[in-house]
Amino acid sequence: MTLKMQLLPLLAMAAISTAASAEWDIRGNVTGQAQYFTENANHTGDHKSNVSLSSEIELYQSLTDSTSITVTPFFRIDQQDEERTHFDFREFLFHQVRENWEWKIGLGKVFWGVAESVNLIDVINQRDSVENGDSSEKLGQAMINVFTSREWGDVEFYILPGFRERSFPGEDGRPRPSLVIDTNDARFESDDKEHHIDFAFRVSKTLGDWDVGLHAFTGTARTPELVFNTNTGKLIPFYYQKNQVGIDAQATFESWLLKAEIIGITADRIENHAELVTGFEYSFYGIAESDIDLGVVAEWLYDDRKNNNVPSTNPFQNDLLIGLRFALNDEQSSDALLGVITDLDGDGEILSLEANRRIGSKVKASLDMRYWVNQPENSQFANEDYLQLELAYFF
Amino acid sequence: MKLTKLSTAATLLIAFGATATSITALANTARGLEIATAVDEQNDGFVDTTSTMQMTLVNRSGKKSERKMRARTLEVPGDGDKSMSIFDQPADVQGTASLTHSHAVKADEQWLYLPALKRVKRISSKNKSGPFMGSEFAFEDISSQEVNKYTYEYLGEDEFDGSKVFKIESKPAYKHSGYTRLINWIDQERMISLKVEYFDRKNAPLKILTFSDHQQYLDKFWRAGTLEMINLQTKKSTLIKFSDYQFKTGLTDKDFNSSALKRLR
Repeated sequence: MTLKMQLLPLLAMAAISTAASAEWDIRGNVTGQAQYFTENANHTGDHKSNVSLSSEIELYQSLTDSTSITVTPFFRIDQQDEERTHFDFREFLFHQVRENWEWKIGLGKVFWGVAESVNLIDVINQRDSVENGDSSEKLGQAMINVFTSREWGDVEFYILPGFRERSFPGEDGRPRPSLVIDTNDARFESDDKEHHIDFAFRVSKTLGDWDVGLHAFTGTARTPELVFNTNTGKLIPFYYQKNQVGIDAQATFESWLLKAEIIGITADRIENHAELVTGFEYSFYGIAESDIDLGVVAEWLYDDRKNNNVPSTNPFQNDLLIGLRFALNDEQSSDALLGVITDLDGDGEILSLEANRRIGSKVKASLDMRYWVNQPENSQFANEDYLQLELAYFF
Repeated sequence: MKLTKLSTAATLLIAFGATATSITALANTARGLEIATAVDEQNDGFVDTTSTMQMTLVNRSGKKSERKMRARTLEVPGDGDKSMSIFDQPADVQGTASLTHSHAVKADEQWLYLPALKRVKRISSKNKSGPFMGSEFAFEDISSQEVNKYTYEYLGEDEFDGSKVFKIESKPAYKHSGYTRLINWIDQERMISLKVEYFDRKNAPLKILTFSDHQQYLDKFWRAGTLEMINLQTKKSTLIKFSDYQFKTGLTDKDFNSSALKRLR
């Protein structure tokens, strides 16, 4: 961590000095965020409000007709949580496109998946989970990537040196589980720890109405098992080694999108198991003769350790997401997403609302709400309900 | 080719003593298709084009908002074109891109690229009548125009802006259109569209599109520099200005597959 903190400013300076000498295409945002927690925490983070400032800037330069470099620094400064105050290179990537293939080297970001709730097959990047409750924010991953598009499919191969530990809210962070996750005490199965080299492979293909993919991964699991440390009373992230294979498919039939991601995991330190997310997205276009579109999303998440009575830290062992997405299709691109994740075994619901609207031409306002309801006695998120307002300036 | 067949059919009908009205109707259908085909053929062989599009949305009170995007189109002989739009403005959607493989009869294939997530998402192409980027242009107005997507009826001759025009009525043959019919005003000399009147699902006048600032490229291909769409019902309008038109830039199929979205800039 400390070495990285020393290296990053140097890399940034290198990037900036190169920037001075050439034409960089720059885009990004500066975002102010305010959060309000409706109840006092039942942990040490005893504040009800928080403000923070973040910025992500993407610098792009084409070096030749076929080569380019992309540098995307990100930072956040947080009033309350020192774990949330952080810097990262989302990308620091050299990219070359050849006649029939392309390759990348550096820090990069990759998305795999078709589902809306959880992307089980999205294994390349670590989540920057201090950023938000869902898993959409990711830490830059060191990679060498080769890609080729063939008649029979698109093929991607990754060598992933350098593992990134997941970020978690600190003692003063909110929302967080009642038990602190002690990121300074992370454990690894591999003796190489964060230097273990991982490999990933995917082949995907569009077959008419179907988009299908097949992938394999071997290396350090991005999602750690959380182990209770009886000495400190904290949770310790344990990063085990795993082999994963999986398939993903989406069928697009008019207003229906049918989706599935299925993975099988074998590991020495956790139970071999399978996980599934499957469901649909259906869109009503121009409801009631207006310009408004309504999308309905339903997805079922399942982990077969549930069935076999094997304990795990996967919160989505048998859960259902129902989402309603409204797009107003107005000048301000207003939209709203209402979601409910229900634990089908009776362990409560998570309610969320996300709404966005452009103000003028360069500012976007976003409102987020998250509520944990009907939680069991020992819930880790009992008093963590919150509202969040963001104003993002784009350039 | 189709025209010849239909003319033969018309001759046969006359020979068998069909009623005068049905012959006229058949002749007008044939003539409509003939004109639509001629307009389409005028554009044959463009291979590929790139252009920049500046869109100005004007609301009822005259307040304006701007959109900017780049368009790329690849001609696919015998099928609908492949096209890509890359958004540059407003800033919050910068880098978002859409890819469409359009087809004459079967459903189009469509993908959306979301740059913040680096996600390519296959989306439904059913949304024909919805507004494109909050503008007065519907998705079906800006998608690739194929002859087979409509049925035609020749309405007669007229004049528009000093040019002699053919008026033809076209009815969408594809599903989920927001229109019952369109009336196209086609310049007789250049065989290009000058004006389109749109009628909504209740057959009430909905929008009027006018094309102007035409320029000819490679001594063959006419492109309008300015498109203005006026919504008669909401009084809102959208102005599109095209610039930097380039032809035969060397784009290939590989630049129009879903993985190409990820390497756009």
